[in-house]
Amino acid sequence: MIRLEGVHKTYGKTTALDGLDLEVQEGEFFCLLGPSGAGKTTTLKTVAGLEQPDSGTVELDGKDMAGVEPYDRGVAMCFESYALYPHRSAYDNLASPLRSPRHRLPAAEARERIGAIAELLGISGLLDRPVGQLSNGQRQRVALGRVLVRPARAFLLDEPLSHLDAKLRQQMRAELKAIGAVRRTTTLYVTHDSLEALALGDRIGVIRDGRIVQTGTREEIWHRPFDTEVARAFGRPRINLLPGVIASDGGFRSADGKVELPLGVPVRENTDVLVGVRPRDITINGPGHELTGTVYVTEVLGRSVEVTVRLGEQQVSLVAPRADTAGLRPDDPVRLTVRPENLLLFEADRPERPGRRIESTR
Amino acid sequence: MRLALRPYFLIIPALLLTCGILYPFGLGLYYTLFDFSASKPQPDMVRFENYETVFTQEAFWNSAWVTVLYAVGAAAVETVLGVAVALLLHRSSIVGRVLEKILILPLMIAPVIAAIMWKLMLQPSVGVINYLLKPFGLGGVQWTDTPTGALLSSIAVDVWVYTPFVAILALAGLRSLPTSPFEAAAVDGAGWWYTFRRLTLPMLWPYVLVAVIFRFMDSLKVFDIIYALTEGGPGDSTVVLQIRAYLEAIRFQRYSFGISYTIVLWAVVYLAAMVLVRHLGKIQRKAAEVSK
Amino acid sequence: MTLQKRLLGWLADAALILYFVFALFPIAWMVILSLKPTNQLFSTYFSFSPTFDGYRTVLGDSEGIPFVRFFVNSLVVSVGAVVLSLVVGLPAAYASARWRFKGSENLMFTLLSFRFAPELTVIIPLFVLYQKLGLFDTYVGMIWVLQLVTLPLIVWIMRSYFADLTPELEQAALLDGYSRKQAFFKVALPLVKPGVAAVSLLAFIFAWNNFVFPLILTSNEAQTVTVGALSFLGGDRPKYNLTAAAALVSVVPPLLLALTIQRYLVRGLSFGAVKS
Repeated sequence: MIRLEGVHKTYGKTTALDGLDLEVQEGEFFCLLGPSGAGKTTTLKTVAGLEQPDSGTVELDGKDMAGVEPYDRGVAMCFESYALYPHRSAYDNLASPLRSPRHRLPAAEARERIGAIAELLGISGLLDRPVGQLSNGQRQRVALGRVLVRPARAFLLDEPLSHLDAKLRQQMRAELKAIGAVRRTTTLYVTHDSLEALALGDRIGVIRDGRIVQTGTREEIWHRPFDTEVARAFGRPRINLLPGVIASDGGFRSADGKVELPLGVPVRENTDVLVGVRPRDITINGPGHELTGTVYVTEVLGRSVEVTVRLGEQQVSLVAPRADTAGLRPDDPVRLTVRPENLLLFEADRPERPGRRIESTR
Repeated sequence: MRLALRPYFLIIPALLLTCGILYPFGLGLYYTLFDFSASKPQPDMVRFENYETVFTQEAFWNSAWVTVLYAVGAAAVETVLGVAVALLLHRSSIVGRVLEKILILPLMIAPVIAAIMWKLMLQPSVGVINYLLKPFGLGGVQWTDTPTGALLSSIAVDVWVYTPFVAILALAGLRSLPTSPFEAAAVDGAGWWYTFRRLTLPMLWPYVLVAVIFRFMDSLKVFDIIYALTEGGPGDSTVVLQIRAYLEAIRFQRYSFGISYTIVLWAVVYLAAMVLVRHLGKIQRKAAEVSK
Repeated sequence: MTLQKRLLGWLADAALILYFVFALFPIAWMVILSLKPTNQLFSTYFSFSPTFDGYRTVLGDSEGIPFVRFFVNSLVVSVGAVVLSLVVGLPAAYASARWRFKGSENLMFTLLSFRFAPELTVIIPLFVLYQKLGLFDTYVGMIWVLQLVTLPLIVWIMRSYFADLTPELEQAALLDGYSRKQAFFKVALPLVKPGVAAVSLLAFIFAWNNFVFPLILTSNEAQTVTVGALSFLGGDRPKYNLTAAAALVSVVPPLLLALTIQRYLVRGLSFGAVKS
C-alpha cells in the first residue's frame, strides 16, 4: 500500500508537487495520468525516497517513510530514461539487484530468474550485448526486467512502454498485467497516454500541476469526469464540447441558438455552460434527441468512420459504423441523434481553471 | 537532517585543504600592514604605509605599464594567430590533420623551459636565430639586450607557448558550431567573407573570448618566462609586477612590501576578470541569437 | 574555379606549415644542440659530430648538479600532489555536482580564484611559514603548495563530468539495493574514469611544469627539474649543449602524456568553460 498525504515539493521557484494526496491499495494497479510537467516522475521519486518532500508524508504499508533511505524502502522503479548502466551488458543490468547486499541471490538461482524474466520480455537473445548496442525499445524492456526480477513492496513504473514501437506497445500492454509479479505487487504506473491508463489501471489518478484532480475506476473517469480537461484527456476523437447557456425551459441552447438539447439537470437560467457528448454516443438516425446539420468532412477509421458535422456555428465529430455513413458527402444534410442520458454538463471554462462537471440529478 | 548533511561530509576534506591554502593568503594580507623584513623580524604595524609606498613609487608604475604592455601584446597576438591556425586546421586538409596531432606540444612544455630554449636560440653572437637571419642582412640583433627587444622577445616566447591554447579552444568551438546556418548561407549563395564575418565569427567569439580571458589574466601575472629569459632586464625594462614582487620579497627580503605588490596585482587581475566575464555573458547571449 | 580553389588550398597549407615550423623549430634545435660535443658548441651550427656526451654529463650528475635527483623529485611531488587532490577533490566535485548547497558554490569559486591568483601572494608568506615549520625544501611542503595548481583543476573538471552524468543511474543503484557509497564507487566512478584519467594526467603536467613554487620553496633536497634545468645556464661559460639536454629530459614526461590525452584536453584546458 502506498499513501501520500499533502506532499509539497518545489525546485527553486517551480512547484512540482502542490499538496498531492494519493492512495494505492495493496496489490492494486494504479495509473497516474497527466501531461509532462504535471509532477508524475516527482511523485514516483518521492515514493522511492529519491526526492525528499518539503512537507507532507509518504507511507508504505502503513509505515511513515520519512528519513528512510531508498535502499531500505523495498520498492523497485523503472525510469523513463531507463537508467541502465551503459558500461555493462543487459544481463549484468538485470542481475544488478540480485547482486546487491539487500536482494542477493545465489548465482545459479539468479541466472534462472533472469532467464525467465528475459523470456517473458522477449529479450533472451540480447542478454550478452552491452546496453549501448540496444535499441531504445530493447533498453526499455531491460529496464522493466530489472524491476520485475526481484520481489518488491511496490513497483514504480515511469512510462515503461513509451519507447516501444506501436505494435510491441500494444502487445506489452496486454501482457504486462498478466505477469504474475505485476498481478501480485502494488504498482504505481505513470503515463501520459490515456489509452494506456484505461487499458491497464484498476484505478486511474489524473494529475495536473502537482495535484490529483480525480481518482476513480475507468468507468467513473469516463462517465463522470471531474472537469472539461479530464473529459478531453480520455477518448479519441476527443469529446465534443458545445458552448451555450441554460434556456428558460431548463434545456441547453448553443451560443448561436442553432442547437437545443434537453437536460435532466436543474441549473439556473442563463448560466454559461459547456455540454459534452462523446463521438461514439452520437448516432445517425438512431433513437434519441434529433439534431440537423451538414457534413463537413469524413474520415475512414477502418470499420468505422469519423464524421465531422456542422451544427450552426459548431462542429461536432462522431464515430459511426461504415454502413450508417455510406453515401455521405461534404455539405450533405444529416440527421444526428443523441440520447439525453449520454450528455455531460460542465461549467464554462474560465481562464483560471477548466469548467467543472455539474452533477446530474440522475 | 542526516540526509541534508551528507554533502557537507564529502566536501570537508577539500574545505580543510582550501583553508590550508587560504591561510597563507590571509597571513600575507596581514603582513602587508607591517614592515616585516629579514632585517626586521619583529615588525611594527604600519597600516597602509606599504600600499602608499607602492603607489607613489615610480618603479611600480613602470612595472604596471610593462605588465599591461606584455599582457595586451601577448593576448592580442595569441588570439589572432590562434584563431587563424584554428581556421586553417578546420579545413582538415591532409597536411592539417597530420599537424593537428602535434599542435599541443609547445603548450605542454614548462614555460620556464621554453624560455631557456629561446634564450639559447636568441643569444646574439652564437644563437641560431641570428645565424639564420644573416643571409637576410639581419645578423647581430641584440634580442634580449635592448629594452624593446627584451619585451618583444618575452612576448614571442609567450606566443610560442600559448598560441596552441587559443587554437585548441577555437578549433573545439568551430567543430561544435551548428551546421544549419552555414548550409542556409551556402544555399543563399553567400560569399566566404560574408559567411565568416556574419556567421563564423559571432558564433565562435564566445569560445575565443574564454581563451582570451584565460590568456590575458595569466599574462598579467607572468613570471617564469621573464625570470628565465631576461630577469627583468636590461635595466627595469621587463620588470613585470610579479618579478618586482619577487625582487622585493626574496632578493631584498622585504617581505611585507613584496606581498603588497602581489596584492595590488591580485586586485587588478580580479577586476579584469570581472569585466571580462561580464562581457563574456553578453557575447554568449548574442551568439546564441545568431545561431538561431 | 577548381584551379583557384586548389591554389588557395595550397596557400592555406603553406601558411599552416609556416606556423608549425615556428612551433617545432625550437624543439628540433634543442635536439641538435643537445647532441653537440662541447668543443664544437660555438664553431658550427648544423654540421657536427653528434654525441650523447651531453646527456651522459647531465644524467651523470657530473656538473655538480644532481639532475637525476631533481627528476625523481619532480616525479614524487607531482604524483603526490595529484593523488592528494584526487582523494580530496573527487568527493567534493561529486557533492557539488549532485547537491546544490550553500558551502559548495563558495568553495568552487574560491578554488577558481586560486587559478587566477598571483602565485607570489601565497608563496612569500609560505616561504616565511615553511622556514618556521621545517617544511622548506621538503616533499610535504611542495605537495601542499602544489594543491594550488592541481586541486582547482581536478575539482572543476570532475564536477563538470559528474554533472554530465544523469543522477538517475545512481538512483537506480540505490533502488537495486546498493548503498550510496556503493552507488558512487560501482556506478558513478567507473563512468567518469576516462575523465579522471585525463584530468589526473593534465594536473600532473601542470604540477611538473611549475616553476615558481620550487624556485622559492626549495633549495636542494626537494628541488625539481624546472629549477634544475635553469641552473645549467649559470656559470661563466654556460654549457649550451648540457642546458639543451637538461631541458629536453625535463620536457619528455609532459610531452608523452600530453599526446595520450589529447582528446580530453579541451575541457581540461578551459576548466570546463567550453564543453567539448
